[in-house]
Amino acid sequence: MRDNVHSLFLEATRNVFQLMLDLSDISDRSAENFPSDEGLGISIGIEGDLTGEVIYRFPNDTSLSMVNIMSGMEVDSVDDFVVSAISEIANIISGNVLTMLAENDLKCDIQPPVPSKPDENGGYELQTIKCISTTVGDVCLEIRLNAA
Amino acid sequence: MLWKDKYELGVPIIDAQHRELFQRVGDFLKTLRSPVSWEEKVNSVNETLEFMKGYVVEHFHDEEEYQRSISYPGYEAHKEVHDDMVNYVQEVSQEYESSGYNEKLMQQFGGRLLSWLINHVASDDQRIAAYAIEKGVAGGEG
Repeated sequence: MRDNVHSLFLEATRNVFQLMLDLSDISDRSAENFPSDEGLGISIGIEGDLTGEVIYRFPNDTSLSMVNIMSGMEVDSVDDFVVSAISEIANIISGNVLTMLAENDLKCDIQPPVPSKPDENGGYELQTIKCISTTVGDVCLEIRLNAA
Repeated sequence: MLWKDKYELGVPIIDAQHRELFQRVGDFLKTLRSPVSWEEKVNSVNETLEFMKGYVVEHFHDEEEYQRSISYPGYEAHKEVHDDMVNYVQEVSQEYESSGYNEKLMQQFGGRLLSWLINHVASDDQRIAAYAIEKGVAGGEG
Protein backbone atom coordinates (compact mmCIF):
# COMPACT_ATOMS: atom_id res chain seq x y z
CA MET A 1 0.00 0.00 0.00
CA ARG A 2 2.77 2.46 0.91
CA ASP A 3 4.15 2.20 -2.62
CA ASN A 4 0.75 3.02 -4.05
CA VAL A 5 0.00 6.08 -1.95
CA HIS A 6 0.42 8.32 -4.98
CA SER A 7 -2.39 6.47 -6.75
CA LEU A 8 -4.71 7.22 -3.82
CA PHE A 9 -3.93 10.92 -4.09
CA LEU A 10 -4.63 10.85 -7.83
CA GLU A 11 -7.86 8.92 -7.33
CA ALA A 12 -9.03 11.36 -4.63
CA THR A 13 -8.13 14.32 -6.83
CA ARG A 14 -10.13 12.90 -9.73
CA ASN A 15 -13.10 12.20 -7.43
CA VAL A 16 -13.12 15.69 -5.95
CA PHE A 17 -12.73 17.37 -9.34
CA GLN A 18 -15.64 15.37 -10.70
CA LEU A 19 -17.83 15.95 -7.68
CA MET A 20 -17.14 19.64 -7.09
CA LEU A 21 -16.27 20.90 -10.56
CA ASP A 22 -18.04 18.41 -12.82
CA LEU A 23 -14.71 17.68 -14.50
CA SER A 24 -14.65 14.11 -15.73
CA ASP A 25 -12.25 14.37 -18.66
CA ILE A 26 -9.07 13.91 -16.63
CA SER A 27 -5.92 12.21 -17.88
CA ASP A 28 -2.40 11.63 -16.61
CA ARG A 29 0.33 13.84 -17.98
CA SER A 30 4.07 13.99 -17.70
CA ALA A 31 5.63 16.12 -14.96
CA GLU A 32 8.15 17.33 -17.52
CA ASN A 33 7.73 20.95 -18.53
CA PHE A 34 5.26 21.56 -15.71
CA PRO A 35 5.84 25.13 -14.53
CA SER A 36 6.42 24.27 -10.87
CA ASP A 37 7.84 27.66 -9.94
CA GLU A 38 4.78 29.65 -10.95
CA GLY A 39 1.20 29.52 -9.75
CA LEU A 40 -0.03 28.22 -6.42
CA GLY A 41 1.89 25.68 -4.34
CA ILE A 42 -0.11 24.42 -1.38
CA SER A 43 1.45 22.10 1.16
CA ILE A 44 -0.52 19.73 3.37
CA GLY A 45 1.56 18.23 6.15
CA ILE A 46 0.94 14.58 7.05
CA GLU A 47 1.60 12.90 10.39
CA GLY A 48 1.08 9.38 11.68
CA ASP A 49 1.97 6.08 10.02
CA LEU A 50 3.21 8.24 7.14
CA THR A 51 4.93 11.57 7.73
CA GLY A 52 5.88 14.32 5.35
CA GLU A 53 3.85 16.49 3.02
CA VAL A 54 1.97 16.62 -0.22
CA ILE A 55 2.32 19.73 -2.34
CA TYR A 56 -0.47 20.58 -4.75
CA ARG A 57 0.69 22.76 -7.62
CA PHE A 58 -1.96 24.72 -9.49
CA PRO A 59 -0.98 27.01 -12.38
CA ASN A 60 -2.82 30.35 -12.08
CA ASP A 61 -5.12 29.66 -15.02
CA THR A 62 -6.19 26.37 -13.44
CA SER A 63 -6.92 28.02 -10.09
CA LEU A 64 -8.94 30.80 -11.69
CA SER A 65 -10.99 28.39 -13.82
CA MET A 66 -11.75 26.22 -10.79
CA VAL A 67 -12.98 29.17 -8.74
CA ASN A 68 -14.98 30.49 -11.69
CA ILE A 69 -16.76 27.14 -11.96
CA MET A 70 -17.53 26.96 -8.25
CA SER A 71 -18.57 30.55 -7.73
CA GLY A 72 -20.28 31.24 -11.04
CA MET A 73 -18.40 34.55 -11.01
CA GLU A 74 -15.57 35.81 -13.18
CA VAL A 75 -12.41 35.90 -11.09
CA ASP A 76 -9.38 37.27 -12.89
CA SER A 77 -6.54 37.30 -10.35
CA VAL A 78 -5.17 34.84 -7.82
CA ASP A 79 -5.95 36.81 -4.68
CA ASP A 80 -6.66 35.84 -1.06
CA PHE A 81 -10.12 34.55 -1.98
CA VAL A 82 -8.78 32.25 -4.71
CA VAL A 83 -5.83 31.00 -2.63
CA SER A 84 -8.20 30.13 0.21
CA ALA A 85 -10.73 28.37 -2.05
CA ILE A 86 -8.01 26.28 -3.72
CA SER A 87 -6.32 25.53 -0.39
CA GLU A 88 -9.62 24.15 0.90
CA ILE A 89 -9.86 21.88 -2.14
CA ALA A 90 -6.34 20.57 -1.40
CA ASN A 91 -7.51 20.02 2.18
CA ILE A 92 -10.62 18.12 1.01
CA ILE A 93 -8.60 15.89 -1.33
CA SER A 94 -6.10 15.11 1.42
CA GLY A 95 -8.89 14.37 3.90
CA ASN A 96 -10.39 11.89 1.45
CA VAL A 97 -6.98 10.22 1.08
CA LEU A 98 -6.79 9.82 4.87
CA THR A 99 -10.06 7.91 4.77
CA MET A 100 -8.66 5.63 2.05
CA LEU A 101 -5.45 5.10 4.01
CA ALA A 102 -7.42 4.23 7.16
CA GLU A 103 -9.28 1.56 5.17
CA ASN A 104 -5.81 0.09 4.56
CA ASP A 105 -4.83 0.26 8.25
CA LEU A 106 -2.65 3.34 7.86
CA LYS A 107 -3.60 6.01 10.38
CA CYS A 108 -2.59 9.56 9.53
CA ASP A 109 -3.62 13.13 10.29
CA ILE A 110 -3.25 16.21 8.12
CA GLN A 111 -2.16 19.74 8.92
CA PRO A 112 -3.97 22.85 7.66
CA PRO A 113 -2.89 23.99 4.17
CA VAL A 114 0.06 26.40 3.99
CA PRO A 115 2.06 27.87 1.09
CA SER A 116 4.70 25.38 -0.04
CA LYS A 117 8.39 25.95 0.63
CA PRO A 118 11.44 24.55 -1.14
CA ASP A 119 12.35 21.06 0.02
CA GLU A 120 15.06 21.34 2.67
CA ASN A 121 15.06 17.78 3.93
CA GLY A 122 15.15 15.55 0.87
CA GLY A 123 15.69 11.83 0.99
CA TYR A 124 12.10 10.74 1.38
CA GLU A 125 11.29 7.04 1.08
CA LEU A 126 8.31 7.91 -1.07
CA GLN A 127 9.02 10.85 -3.30
CA THR A 128 7.24 11.31 -6.58
CA ILE A 129 5.57 13.92 -8.75
CA LYS A 130 2.31 13.02 -10.46
CA CYS A 131 0.42 15.32 -12.81
CA ILE A 132 -3.02 15.31 -14.35
CA SER A 133 -4.52 17.22 -17.21
CA THR A 134 -8.09 18.53 -17.12
CA THR A 135 -10.22 20.70 -19.36
CA VAL A 136 -9.48 23.68 -17.11
CA GLY A 137 -5.74 23.09 -16.91
CA ASP A 138 -3.13 20.91 -15.30
CA VAL A 139 -2.42 20.04 -11.67
CA CYS A 140 0.65 18.37 -10.16
CA LEU A 141 0.99 16.60 -6.83
CA GLU A 142 4.41 16.33 -5.27
CA ILE A 143 4.38 13.58 -2.67
CA ARG A 144 7.14 13.49 -0.04
CA LEU A 145 6.57 10.86 2.62
CA ASN A 146 8.41 8.63 5.06
CA ALA A 147 6.97 5.61 6.79
CA ALA A 148 6.90 6.03 10.58
CA MET B 1 -22.71 30.21 -6.59
CA LEU B 2 -24.73 27.80 -8.65
CA TRP B 3 -27.22 25.27 -7.31
CA LYS B 4 -27.19 21.96 -9.18
CA ASP B 5 -29.90 19.34 -9.29
CA LYS B 6 -27.37 16.67 -8.31
CA TYR B 7 -27.21 18.28 -4.85
CA GLU B 8 -30.86 17.30 -4.20
CA LEU B 9 -31.24 14.78 -1.36
CA GLY B 10 -34.89 13.98 -1.99
CA VAL B 11 -35.83 15.31 1.43
CA PRO B 12 -38.03 18.37 0.76
CA ILE B 13 -37.28 20.40 3.88
CA ILE B 14 -33.51 19.86 3.66
CA ASP B 15 -33.41 20.46 -0.10
CA ALA B 16 -35.30 23.72 0.34
CA GLN B 17 -32.86 24.78 3.05
CA HIS B 18 -29.86 23.88 0.90
CA ARG B 19 -31.20 26.04 -1.90
CA GLU B 20 -31.71 28.91 0.55
CA LEU B 21 -28.22 28.35 1.95
CA PHE B 22 -26.67 28.51 -1.53
CA GLN B 23 -28.68 31.66 -2.21
CA ARG B 24 -27.49 33.40 0.96
CA VAL B 25 -23.86 32.33 0.63
CA GLY B 26 -24.03 33.34 -3.03
CA ASP B 27 -25.35 36.78 -2.12
CA PHE B 28 -22.60 37.17 0.46
CA LEU B 29 -19.90 36.16 -2.04
CA LYS B 30 -21.33 38.39 -4.76
CA THR B 31 -21.17 41.33 -2.39
CA LEU B 32 -17.70 40.36 -1.16
CA ARG B 33 -16.40 40.12 -4.74
CA SER B 34 -18.15 43.18 -6.17
CA PRO B 35 -15.73 45.43 -8.07
CA VAL B 36 -15.85 48.42 -5.73
CA SER B 37 -13.52 49.53 -2.96
CA TRP B 38 -13.66 47.81 0.42
CA GLU B 39 -14.88 51.03 2.06
CA GLU B 40 -17.79 51.14 -0.34
CA LYS B 41 -18.92 47.57 0.24
CA VAL B 42 -17.91 46.72 3.80
CA ASN B 43 -21.34 47.56 5.25
CA SER B 44 -23.12 45.41 2.67
CA VAL B 45 -20.61 42.61 3.22
CA ASN B 46 -21.30 42.74 6.96
CA GLU B 47 -25.07 42.66 6.43
CA THR B 48 -25.00 39.69 4.08
CA LEU B 49 -22.47 37.96 6.35
CA GLU B 50 -24.83 38.19 9.35
CA PHE B 51 -27.82 37.13 7.23
CA MET B 52 -25.89 34.10 6.03
CA LYS B 53 -24.35 33.14 9.39
CA GLY B 54 -27.67 32.90 11.19
CA TYR B 55 -29.06 30.64 8.51
CA VAL B 56 -26.05 28.31 8.60
CA VAL B 57 -26.69 27.56 12.27
CA GLU B 58 -30.44 27.14 11.71
CA HIS B 59 -29.91 24.80 8.77
CA PHE B 60 -27.29 22.67 10.53
CA HIS B 61 -29.68 22.27 13.47
CA ASP B 62 -32.60 21.22 11.25
CA GLU B 63 -30.46 18.83 9.25
CA GLU B 64 -29.17 17.22 12.44
CA GLU B 65 -32.76 16.82 13.67
CA TYR B 66 -33.62 15.08 10.43
CA GLN B 67 -30.66 12.73 10.79
CA ARG B 68 -31.78 11.83 14.30
CA SER B 69 -35.34 11.23 13.11
CA ILE B 70 -34.14 8.58 10.64
CA SER B 71 -31.51 7.18 13.07
CA TYR B 72 -28.72 8.08 10.67
CA PRO B 73 -25.64 6.16 11.86
CA GLY B 74 -23.26 8.89 10.73
CA TYR B 75 -25.02 11.50 12.89
CA GLU B 76 -22.21 12.04 15.41
CA ALA B 77 -19.50 12.39 12.77
CA HIS B 78 -21.69 14.69 10.67
CA LYS B 79 -22.51 16.84 13.70
CA GLU B 80 -18.80 17.15 14.42
CA VAL B 81 -18.24 18.46 10.89
CA HIS B 82 -21.04 21.00 11.43
CA ASP B 83 -19.68 22.01 14.85
CA ASP B 84 -16.17 22.50 13.42
CA MET B 85 -17.57 24.80 10.74
CA VAL B 86 -19.68 26.79 13.20
CA ASN B 87 -16.63 27.21 15.45
CA TYR B 88 -14.56 28.35 12.47
CA VAL B 89 -17.24 30.88 11.46
CA GLN B 90 -17.42 32.22 15.02
CA GLU B 91 -13.64 32.47 15.36
CA VAL B 92 -13.26 34.29 12.06
CA SER B 93 -16.17 36.61 12.89
CA GLN B 94 -14.60 37.58 16.21
CA GLU B 95 -11.19 38.15 14.63
CA TYR B 96 -12.83 40.12 11.82
CA GLU B 97 -14.68 42.41 14.21
CA SER B 98 -11.69 42.98 16.46
CA SER B 99 -9.53 43.72 13.42
CA GLY B 100 -11.86 46.57 12.46
CA TYR B 101 -13.31 44.62 9.50
CA ASN B 102 -10.12 43.56 7.76
CA GLU B 103 -10.79 42.71 4.09
CA LYS B 104 -8.08 40.04 3.79
CA LEU B 105 -9.69 37.99 6.57
CA MET B 106 -13.08 38.13 4.88
CA GLN B 107 -11.74 37.24 1.43
CA GLN B 108 -9.97 34.23 2.93
CA PHE B 109 -13.13 33.23 4.77
CA GLY B 110 -15.24 33.56 1.61
CA GLY B 111 -12.90 31.38 -0.44
CA ARG B 112 -12.82 28.60 2.10
CA LEU B 113 -16.59 28.75 2.64
CA LEU B 114 -17.19 28.43 -1.12
CA SER B 115 -15.21 25.19 -1.45
CA TRP B 116 -16.32 23.79 1.89
CA LEU B 117 -20.03 24.23 1.24
CA ILE B 118 -19.98 22.70 -2.24
CA ASN B 119 -18.07 19.67 -0.99
CA HIS B 120 -20.26 19.30 2.09
CA VAL B 121 -23.54 19.37 0.18
CA ALA B 122 -22.26 17.38 -2.82
CA SER B 123 -20.49 14.73 -0.75
CA ASP B 124 -21.17 14.55 3.00
CA ASP B 125 -24.89 15.28 2.76
CA GLN B 126 -25.39 12.80 -0.07
CA ARG B 127 -24.53 10.02 2.35
CA ILE B 128 -27.61 10.95 4.38
CA ALA B 129 -29.74 10.56 1.25
CA ALA B 130 -28.11 7.24 0.38
CA TYR B 131 -28.93 5.91 3.86
CA ALA B 132 -32.51 7.22 3.76
CA ILE B 133 -33.13 5.60 0.37
CA GLU B 134 -31.58 2.33 1.52
CA LYS B 135 -33.81 2.29 4.60
CA GLY B 136 -36.89 3.38 2.69
CA VAL B 137 -37.34 6.59 4.68
CA ALA B 138 -36.39 9.08 1.97
CA GLY B 139 -38.91 11.68 0.92
CA GLY B 140 -40.12 12.35 4.46
CA GLU B 141 -39.95 15.80 5.92
CA GLY B 142 -38.16 14.80 9.09
